[in-house]
Amino acid sequence: MPSETHTTKLRRTLLWLVPLVLWAAFPLVATRHMVDLLVFAGLYSIAGLGVAFLLGQCGIVNLAQSVFYGIGAYSVAWFCANKGFPSAVGIAAGIGLSMTIAAIVGWPILRLSGYFLALATLALGIIGQVLFLEWDGVTGGTLGIGGIPFIEPFGFAFDTPARFYFLVWPIAFVLLLLHYNLLHSRNGLALRAMRDEPDAAAVLGVDIHKLKVQMFMLSAALGSLAGSLFAHYVTFVSVDSFAIDRAISFLLLAVLGGVYTVWGPVLGALFITILPQWLSRLGDIHAFVFAAALIAAVILLPEGFGGAISHWWQRRTAKRGLNGGSP
Amino acid sequence: MSLDLLFQSVLTGLTNGFVYGLVGLGIASIFRGTRIINAMQGDFALIGGITAVLLLERQGWPMAPAFLAAVVIGGVAGWLLEILLVRPLRRRGGTEDSYLLLTLGAAFAVSALVLYFVGRDSHALPGIGGEGIVVIADAAMRIHAIWLIAISLAVMLSLRVFFTRTALGLSMMAAALDPEGALTTGINVPLMRTLTFVLGGLVGGLAGVLVGPLVTVYYNMGLLLTLKGFAAAILGGLTNPLGAIVGGVTLGLLESIAIVTISSGYKDVVAMVILIIIMIVMPNGLLGRRLRKGG
Amino acid sequence: MSAVANKDEVSSKNAAATDGTGLLRISHISHRFGGLQVLDGVEFEVAAGTLTGLIGPNGAGKSTLFNIVSGFLIAQSGSILFDGRDITRDSVRARSAAGLVRTFQTPKVFGKLSVRENLMIGYYQHLHSGPFGNMLRTPRSRGEIEGMRAQAVQAGERFGLQEVMDRPAGKVTAGMQRLVELARAWVSQPRLLLLDEPSSGLNSTEIEQMRAALQRLNREGMTILLVSHDMDLVDVASEVHVLCFGSIIASGTMAQIKQDQAVRQAYLGV
Repeated sequence: MPSETHTTKLRRTLLWLVPLVLWAAFPLVATRHMVDLLVFAGLYSIAGLGVAFLLGQCGIVNLAQSVFYGIGAYSVAWFCANKGFPSAVGIAAGIGLSMTIAAIVGWPILRLSGYFLALATLALGIIGQVLFLEWDGVTGGTLGIGGIPFIEPFGFAFDTPARFYFLVWPIAFVLLLLHYNLLHSRNGLALRAMRDEPDAAAVLGVDIHKLKVQMFMLSAALGSLAGSLFAHYVTFVSVDSFAIDRAISFLLLAVLGGVYTVWGPVLGALFITILPQWLSRLGDIHAFVFAAALIAAVILLPEGFGGAISHWWQRRTAKRGLNGGSP
Repeated sequence: MSLDLLFQSVLTGLTNGFVYGLVGLGIASIFRGTRIINAMQGDFALIGGITAVLLLERQGWPMAPAFLAAVVIGGVAGWLLEILLVRPLRRRGGTEDSYLLLTLGAAFAVSALVLYFVGRDSHALPGIGGEGIVVIADAAMRIHAIWLIAISLAVMLSLRVFFTRTALGLSMMAAALDPEGALTTGINVPLMRTLTFVLGGLVGGLAGVLVGPLVTVYYNMGLLLTLKGFAAAILGGLTNPLGAIVGGVTLGLLESIAIVTISSGYKDVVAMVILIIIMIVMPNGLLGRRLRKGG
Repeated sequence: MSAVANKDEVSSKNAAATDGTGLLRISHISHRFGGLQVLDGVEFEVAAGTLTGLIGPNGAGKSTLFNIVSGFLIAQSGSILFDGRDITRDSVRARSAAGLVRTFQTPKVFGKLSVRENLMIGYYQHLHSGPFGNMLRTPRSRGEIEGMRAQAVQAGERFGLQEVMDRPAGKVTAGMQRLVELARAWVSQPRLLLLDEPSSGLNSTEIEQMRAALQRLNREGMTILLVSHDMDLVDVASEVHVLCFGSIIASGTMAQIKQDQAVRQAYLGV
């Protein structure tokens, strides 16, 4: 019946239009502090997307994301603050370096599986942490590097939280879209297949190892991009931001938000940026709450908030007899 | 590099090695008993160490009861880990990944709790034999370190006897190797699993009170200890708890040599690189024979 | 230009090779596990375009041989020639690129994917887009996924899977899963299809359907090597090899095999 399709079309449009409008209006009504928090949520969404996608599609726990985050940040510090190159150079250099390292290190260790692999990435995270500290000629050690310029295309500087909000989130949305495309493509199908039955996937010509390395490189690129944007936002970086607890937050947000949906990391990122604010009165308790949340998610909500919402939505649309799927 | 310096570093490496070996022994024991890699093992050491610190400093207990209580508390922590976290996950069908995330989460939770209640400072523990030193061929070694090595060896030997000669130990082995078969012979398999974790907790707590006097106790000592213990366990063959001691000593010696040849700041990097290399090149370790089906 | 290869090309390739030279040539394959010599100088050939069976009592080494031919195990000695090329040390993936596809004793369908998606994956290796191109939805990427979809539809019709196309493959009956696995292998257009106990877990009606499906595939020009316990199924083969205690003790048609002295001794102790 025509009126029915009319309402479903309207419903579908509202589904993405309303959140978009809310998102765009947010900086206009919120305090500077809140916008600042949401900027960090955006940065963490990007880095967390890398971790989540790798975990959800390849079953790889990546605890080295803090290293790539740091490489992205220090690249910008080096090329833009020290050498005066434009931001694009710093960002590109960071991504290139991160992907190269991910390829070189990933090639042997991605042949491992399960525990070995996860702990190997954790070991990498620690190696990165120590090297950032020791190579203070490049990184400035605990003193850090300051004076990182803002991103400034054509004279418009992204120098306030509100402006940066409108930079980082569109980038995040585009990346979510790119990953959605990947998931619904030839190789996305291969990733899901090799997660289910690696032997059968190999027999059909899927190069499992090569795909894993490529996904690891992609994850590293995202971490690096997030780190570069972070550096351009806070204009000062030091090793404290790139330690193992950063890698753990990325993993936490991925698991909490849900690794099987593309937009799950956004929920996780919102959780880990907003929650410490609410808890700040109680002192340094948020680390414990994060750990408890990770445990609760693993036991009770293995598909994360995103998965729970996704299932709920599927049940709802199935009941209404619509052919609605979720991304 | 002088011979004295080399010998000194050998002694240090030996001492550290036994600590890593103890942690690795805990990891290997739990793995053999439950096929779970306990990412929290180093934090059992933290629990043991911080308990000893609190009992000694805030409650004024004498040393021996404090250390003993600390070890027991470690065992309690192992018990809690199994019944509060591992069991519920088992019931819901945990995969390898989820157990790892679970124990990682538990490790961070413990670390965060210690941070919150005790703070960021390092706390010293008195060693056995106080500050006493023994001089061996111009190199100095703390009496505590000698006790550490002796106690570790004693634990190693008693565990061997426990698992091969006592009824309880044999039951635990049986439950690990063939849970269904063990059930039919009347062995309480879930209890055996819990006891495996208790054992891991006891060994972990012991590692904590033994290493505390040497490196001080601080809130994030757990993770690195876990990783090094894991390296020790792999080197010794992951299902061979006694091999972990050998693996630990090997790791400790390699680490010490690296410190004197490269630099002390890179100590942890060296250990982590060794860990990665071991996993790639010899996942079955030096002594282990059972084939690991890739992590 | 469609991304889909021409099925006639594959059939004619197979027909061209049917000039007596074996598509698959197993020579002197030996393998031991610890103290047990599981395979001892296995020799046989599979001619292109034929339906060949491999039978033998339990423990004869059929699974080991199958794993060696498909690349899940590397033979300790001997050689495997596929269309003249030595594939003895090739990886599973390299063999599948050469056109050698196997199924598994328990069907390994991708449980969380729909039946349709399972069939789509069958076409994976005939396409070339990389993951980064996929992210950008290049025209090639889009064309490829459409091609895979078309292949899946075709396979669904041919194997009678239309009704379950959108169900998760893990949730259909065992018999259907076998069919899905077979259809998926068909989509990959193998030059040699290796079937591992394709009738295990099937009832007699389903076995009959399997027989018919295999005969039809073979008539269309597909070379098939079949490992099976089931005599009724192997009956469709034009050539049968009997593997016993690690070596081939008899080869020929089913009728010849049944008369063979060595075979009777092995199976019946007569």
